[in-house]
Amino acid sequence: MPAIIELEHITKIYPRPEGESQILADVSLEVMDGEVLAVVGPSGCGKSTLLRIIHGLIPPSAGVVRFAGRAQDGINLSCGMVFQSFALLPWLTVEQNVMVGLEARGLDDETCRKRAMKYIDKVGLDGNEEAYPRELSGGMKQRVGLARALAVEPKVLLMDEPFSALDALTSINLREELIDLWGDPALPVDTIVIVTHLIEEAVELADRIVVLASNPGRIVESIKVELPRPRERKSPEFSALVDRVFSLIV
Amino acid sequence: MKFSFTQAARYTALVLLVLAGAVLLVAGGVRYLPARGEMPAEVRHLPVYAAWSFLRMLIAYFFALAFSIPYGFLAATNKRAEKVLLPLLDILQSVPVLGFFPAAVFFFVSLTHGSRLGVEMASIFLIFTSQAWNIAFGCYEALTTIPQDSFDALASQGVHGWQRFRILYLPACVPKLVYNSILSWAGGWYFLIACEIISIGPTEAALPGLGSFLKRAAAEGRVGLTLTGIAVLIAIVVAMHLFIWRPLESWSEKFRYEFAASTVAPSRLLVFYRELRLVAYIGRTARRLAAYVARQKIRLFPPRQVIADLEALPPLWRRIVGRTIGILASACALYILVRAGMALVVVLRPPWPHQAWMIPAALGASFLRLLVAYILALAWTIPVAVWAGNRPRAMRIVGPFAQIASSVPATSLFPLIVMFAIHHRGGTNIAAVLLVLTGMQWYILFNLLAGVHAIPGDLKEATRSLGLTGWRAFKTLTLPAMLPSLITGSITGWGGGWNALILSEYLPYAGKVYSVLGIGTLLQEATVPPGNQAMMVLSLVAMVVVILLLNRFFWRRMYNWAADLYKIEY
Ligand SMILES: Nc1ncnc2c1ncn2[C@@H]1O[C@H](COP(=O)(O)OP(=O)(O)O)[C@@H](O)[C@H]1O
Ligand SMILES: [Mg+2]
Repeated sequence: MPAIIELEHITKIYPRPEGESQILADVSLEVMDGEVLAVVGPSGCGKSTLLRIIHGLIPPSAGVVRFAGRAQDGINLSCGMVFQSFALLPWLTVEQNVMVGLEARGLDDETCRKRAMKYIDKVGLDGNEEAYPRELSGGMKQRVGLARALAVEPKVLLMDEPFSALDALTSINLREELIDLWGDPALPVDTIVIVTHLIEEAVELADRIVVLASNPGRIVESIKVELPRPRERKSPEFSALVDRVFSLIV
Repeated sequence: MKFSFTQAARYTALVLLVLAGAVLLVAGGVRYLPARGEMPAEVRHLPVYAAWSFLRMLIAYFFALAFSIPYGFLAATNKRAEKVLLPLLDILQSVPVLGFFPAAVFFFVSLTHGSRLGVEMASIFLIFTSQAWNIAFGCYEALTTIPQDSFDALASQGVHGWQRFRILYLPACVPKLVYNSILSWAGGWYFLIACEIISIGPTEAALPGLGSFLKRAAAEGRVGLTLTGIAVLIAIVVAMHLFIWRPLESWSEKFRYEFAASTVAPSRLLVFYRELRLVAYIGRTARRLAAYVARQKIRLFPPRQVIADLEALPPLWRRIVGRTIGILASACALYILVRAGMALVVVLRPPWPHQAWMIPAALGASFLRLLVAYILALAWTIPVAVWAGNRPRAMRIVGPFAQIASSVPATSLFPLIVMFAIHHRGGTNIAAVLLVLTGMQWYILFNLLAGVHAIPGDLKEATRSLGLTGWRAFKTLTLPAMLPSLITGSITGWGGGWNALILSEYLPYAGKVYSVLGIGTLLQEATVPPGNQAMMVLSLVAMVVVILLLNRFFWRRMYNWAADLYKIEY
C-alpha cells in the first residue's frame, strides 16, 4: 500500500500572551491508501489541530503535508470532514446541508439534488430531506454530517471525534455503519483518519492506531491492529490491545 | 434552467414597474416641496403627517441596513479593518449625534440649493444616524459568534466567496438584525421630534411629519394635540409590532444556533402569512430574481477568475497597486482632516464668546443630571430584569412593552411634566432629569434582560439545588453573571442619555423657553438664530472629549474587568 498522505516534520505553534505555545512538535506520519487510521491521545494534545493541518484548514508552522505525493498548499478538496459538533447550518434543511459542497463545485441543480439524495439514502435518512437539523436527534444529525462529507465523493474521510457527542448505543450503530460504508465498493472513499479519545473506538475501527502525547503533541507509538473484522468487543485480544494503548496514554 | 423569453419579459416588466414607482415617489416628493414654513398642527393633518414620518423612517432604515451589513461584515471578517471600524463605531454610538445635526443639515441643504428635497435628505440622514450604529454592532456581534466549526465545515466543503456569504454570513445575522432593527426603529421614533424641524442659519425648516407636529404642539403648549399625536405614534408602533416585528422575530428563530437562548414566542400571524399565496409568491420571485442576478453576475464578471487573475499578478505589480491605493486613500483622508482642522481654527479663533467660560460648569451640571438619571434607571431596571429574565412568560410581556415604551419621544411629553414641575423650585431640573432618564433606561433594561435570560439553566438549577435563594442567589449567581451586560447596557445607556440631554435641558413650551444650566442648553442656545458657530463647536468638542475620556478610562476598563472575571464559558 502506498502512502496517500505524508506528514513531514509538522510543527504547530500558537502565539500566546504569555509567550508562544507549541501544540505539535515534529510530527511525521504516513497515512496509507485504503487504511483506517485512528489518532488517539489525551484531550488537548493537538489531535484536532493535526487533523485540520492534514485537511489544509490551518497551515503548519513548519513541515510539509503531501497528498498523493504532491506538497499541499491550502485546503485539500479530496478530503471530506466530519465534526464532533456536527457543524450543520441550522437554517438549511438536511438536503440543503448536504448540497452545500456540491453547489460549491459548480454542479447544476439537478445533479446536486440527485447526488445529495443518494448519500442521504446511504446514511439511512431518506424521508428526512426536508427536515431542519434542530428537528433531528444527535445520531441523525451526525448522519447528515457524514452524508455531507461523503457527497463530495472524497478520497479520504477525516473525522474529528465524530461519535463523542452521541450516546453509547447510537455511537455503536454508527461505527458499524461507518465500516460498512468504508467497505462499500460503490463509494470512492477508501481511507479514513479518525481522531478520538476513546480507546475502544480506535481499536474497533482502525487498521492502525497512532498514539499522541501532549505538551507538546508528538507521536509516541504507532500500533497495527490485526484483529479480523467484524471485531468482537468482548474478546481477550481486543481487551489486551485496549489495555496496551491505555498504558501508552497514561 | 434555461431562461425563456416570457420570463425575461416578466422580469423586465417588474423592473420597469419598480423604477416607475421610484420615479413617481421622488417626483411626487419634489412636487410637494413648497410646504416649507408654516406646518399647521391640526388633528386632521395627522394621517398625512404620520405617513410622511413613516416613509422617512422606512427610507432611513433601508439606508441603515445597506450601511450596517457591509460595515459589520467587514469589521467581523477583516482583522485590519476591525481595528479601525470597531472603535469608530464605538465613538459614533456614544457621541451625541444630535449635536452634529447642524453641520449635517448644512451639508445636505447646500447640496440641493435649499430645496425641500435637501431638507428631506437631511432629516432622513438624521434618522439614519439614530438607527444605523446599533444594527451594525448587531451584525458584527452575530458574525463574530459564528462557531469556528461552521467555518471549517464550509471550508472543508470548498465553499467560499459569495456562496459563503449567502449561506453562512447573511443567515447568521438575521436574528440580531431583526432584534436590533426593532430597537433602531424605537430609537428613530424617539428622536423623530428632533429630526423634522431643522434650523438652517437664521431660518427654520419644518417638514410635514409627526415629529414636527409634536414639537410644534409642545411649543405652543397644546396638551390635547400633543396627546393625540402621541396616541397616533403609539398606534403605529403597536401595529408595526403586531404585524411586522413579531412575525419577523418568530421567523428569525430559524436562523438561530441551538445554543443561543431565545425568548421569542411563535407567532400565529407568521403561520397566516406563510399561507398567503401572495407572500409565498413574493418570496419565490425574490429568490428566483436573486439567483438569476447572481448567475448573470458570475457570467459577466466571474469573481473567482478575477481574484485568480489578481493573485497571478507579479508581486511587484501587486505591491505597486496596493501602495497606490493606500497612498491615494491616505492623501484623501489627510486633505479632509486638514480642511476640517482649518475650518475649526477659523471658527475657534479667540476671542472666544464670553459664554465659553460656562462650559466646564455646564458639563458638570449635565454630568450630575445623567448620574442621577442613571441611578434612577438602575434602581428599577435591575429588579425588573431579574424578575422577568428568569420567567419566560414575563419576558414575553416586558420585552414588547419596553420596546413600545422606548419608542415614545418623551421630550414631547414635556408639556405634561412642565405643568406639574413649573410651580415648584427646581421643577425644570427635575423635568430634565426625567427626560434624560427616558433616553437612557431602555438600553439598560434591554441589555439586562438579555443578560439574565442568557444565564445557563444548569447554573440556575445548581444554585437552587445548593439551597441559595433570594438575595444570596442574586449575589452569587445573577449579579456576577449579568455584570457584563449591565456594563454594555450602561455604555449604550449613557450614549442615549447624552443624546437625550441635548433635547432635555432646553424646552420651549407655550411661547416660553424653560432651560437649566447644562451643555445641552449651551448647544441649543448656540443654534438659536442667528446662531453662534464658535459656541456650537466649543460645546460640542468639550462634550465629545468628556464622553470619549469617560468611555476610554472608565467604561472600557469596567467592561474588560467584568468580562475577564465573570464571563461564562462553555
Ligand atoms: N486557534 C488557536 N489558538 C491558540 N491555541 C489553540 C488554538 N486552537 C487550539 N489551540 C490549543 O491547542 C491545543 C490542542 O488543541 P486541540 O488540537 O483541539 O486538542 P485535542 O483535539 O487533542 O483535544 C489546546 O491546548 C488548545 O488550547
Ligand atoms: Mg479535539
